Amino acid sequence: MKSVSKTLASMAVAGLLFNTAVSAEPLEIGLLTPSPIADVGWSKALVDGVEAVKAKYGDDVNVNIIENIQEGPDADRIMNKMVGDGNKFLVLGSFGFMNAGLKLAKRNPDRTFIHASGYKTAKNFSPFTAKYYEGAYLMGMAAAELTKTKKLGVVSAFAIPELISTINGFTLGARSVDPEITVDVIWINSWFDPAKAQDSAKALLAGGADILFSNAQDTPSVVTVGEEGGAYVFNLNGSMKDYAPTKYLGVVKTDWAPFFVASVDAHLAGNFEGQNQWLGMKDDVVVVEDWNSDISEDMMARIKSTEAEIASGAKHVYDGPLVNQAGEEVIAAGQTLEDGAILGMDWHVEGVNSPLPK
Amino acid sequence: MSTLEFFLAGTLSAATIFLLAALGELVAEKSGVLNLGVEGTMAISAAVGFVVTFETGNHLLGFALAGVSGMLLSLVFAVIAISFLANQVASGLAVGILGLGLSALIGRDYESRTIASTDGISIPYLSEIPLIGPVLFQQNIVVYLTFALALVIGFTLTHTRLGLAIRSTGENPHAAQALGFPVFLIRYCAVAFGGLLSGFAGAYASTIYTPLWADGMIAGRGWIAVALVVFGTWKTGRIAFGAMLFGMVSLGELIAQSMGANIPSQLLSSLPYIVTIVVLALISRDTVRMRLHAPFSLGEVFDGSESR
Repeated sequence: MKSVSKTLASMAVAGLLFNTAVSAEPLEIGLLTPSPIADVGWSKALVDGVEAVKAKYGDDVNVNIIENIQEGPDADRIMNKMVGDGNKFLVLGSFGFMNAGLKLAKRNPDRTFIHASGYKTAKNFSPFTAKYYEGAYLMGMAAAELTKTKKLGVVSAFAIPELISTINGFTLGARSVDPEITVDVIWINSWFDPAKAQDSAKALLAGGADILFSNAQDTPSVVTVGEEGGAYVFNLNGSMKDYAPTKYLGVVKTDWAPFFVASVDAHLAGNFEGQNQWLGMKDDVVVVEDWNSDISEDMMARIKSTEAEIASGAKHVYDGPLVNQAGEEVIAAGQTLEDGAILGMDWHVEGVNSPLPK
Repeated sequence: MSTLEFFLAGTLSAATIFLLAALGELVAEKSGVLNLGVEGTMAISAAVGFVVTFETGNHLLGFALAGVSGMLLSLVFAVIAISFLANQVASGLAVGILGLGLSALIGRDYESRTIASTDGISIPYLSEIPLIGPVLFQQNIVVYLTFALALVIGFTLTHTRLGLAIRSTGENPHAAQALGFPVFLIRYCAVAFGGLLSGFAGAYASTIYTPLWADGMIAGRGWIAVALVVFGTWKTGRIAFGAMLFGMVSLGELIAQSMGANIPSQLLSSLPYIVTIVVLALISRDTVRMRLHAPFSLGEVFDGSESR
């Protein structure tokens, strides 16, 4: 994986070559990731996405990866450099790359940008996000069957809508099976503090939770605590089954390949259109797999049929009636929460014990 | 394990990281050298300790080499700050940043990998006592050794000739040199010892406390250790107390959240830092008391001349 990543120096050389190249030269694809590329996690999922493009186009594309660039002025500089080095298709792997990336996109109308987690768009700039809550709903159903204490624990990074809606989806799924279930949440206010994540997971277990959800933690910190503490555990983005061989509940995986390939197709065909890409099970981007064999066949069948309903659109995770933490009805039966309300979610559903940090 | 047991036992365990690094920094500062590279030293040693333990499966070897790497990095700082008379603050920061960068390089191929954690030692009979047993008698051996080390260092600094040599070097290097103490040697040794302990702290963090490697996993704990030395007004007992207080605050925040306490988690996350600032402000008011304990020549460049 790391063999494809290049240093800035070698990219500069590649850029010089490219400038003098003819049109038969391969498409240069640049990927910028906010964290180191490990065997699992957020950045790895992005790399897998561009690898799929490479697998489809072979020598017709060149993939240039720059990893572990933190959001901020340094990232802006490196993005500029990536454009200068001749990358025609850029994948910006973090929310904080949005404003600088958008500026670059407007200045370079012949390039195509796709940007993770953001919300701003331009003609050649598409933000993309996964509907994690769809997968988390299924995990909630499985958790509801396996829990004995009827208490589920979530270790969560920041209280942003994407993560809040995922916790709510998880809670709704669990309570669709057993309405007595409650969910404890600890916000660690960091994407990246494995020690704090592990302490939080242990605190949740000590408080009586027997299922753990590692919400947007990029390291196996919470997952290993689950295995050691005898609690079923699941996470997002990529499978961490190796870290919890017996207690791994499953993974809400993001498979960016279909979207990345489609975007490159569109770029090459000259008909790329920048728009908000909010992708879920229907798009084959959110995939739930590696189910634990302790889940009963009955429950598995129920989960599979719910999965099919969500993918087909027959069921929406945020179908009414929905009640918030304070016990007030947000929407009535027969209605579905609008997309905008999910994308900007700042409230917890009934069943989540922990107050939301304001 | 109940929440209370987890809280108390976890406090000791969390305090160990802070205490190990702070004790090392204390010795260096007592000799008059302010080493701000603790965060970077812990990071590089955490990486080395993790990689060695991952490859060999030998925790002891991982700890040893982590200590050595911490010592080597602090010697780089020592050469710059003590022999080349560079500003201690600037060179400490620079070496710390170097350490952070090197840690990312060393740990590159080990990102997000885990190792088996070591079990705490269970002391027979005593560990069976409810509450006290799990809290005091089922900890990792490093926890016990660290608190023992605090006693040894406290005693050495105040009651031995070696301690006198270190302290006089820190108070007035010119006078110490006139008295025949090898000032440069003492400072080199004190800084190297500080690096060794920072290294152990890093190894404890990456192989025992959180047995995995992730770039940036020290996450500011080295800075808390530096603050702890001031917090404890250069006294080992107070530093140990402060380390436990910090451990307690950092865990208490998480437990308060899990119990549904309606306090903003951002505020809770910043509590350790707020506590540091408040305590610094409080003890700074008693300027005389500060002066009594702060090494007089701390941070000053000493060029070996006999008078100032």
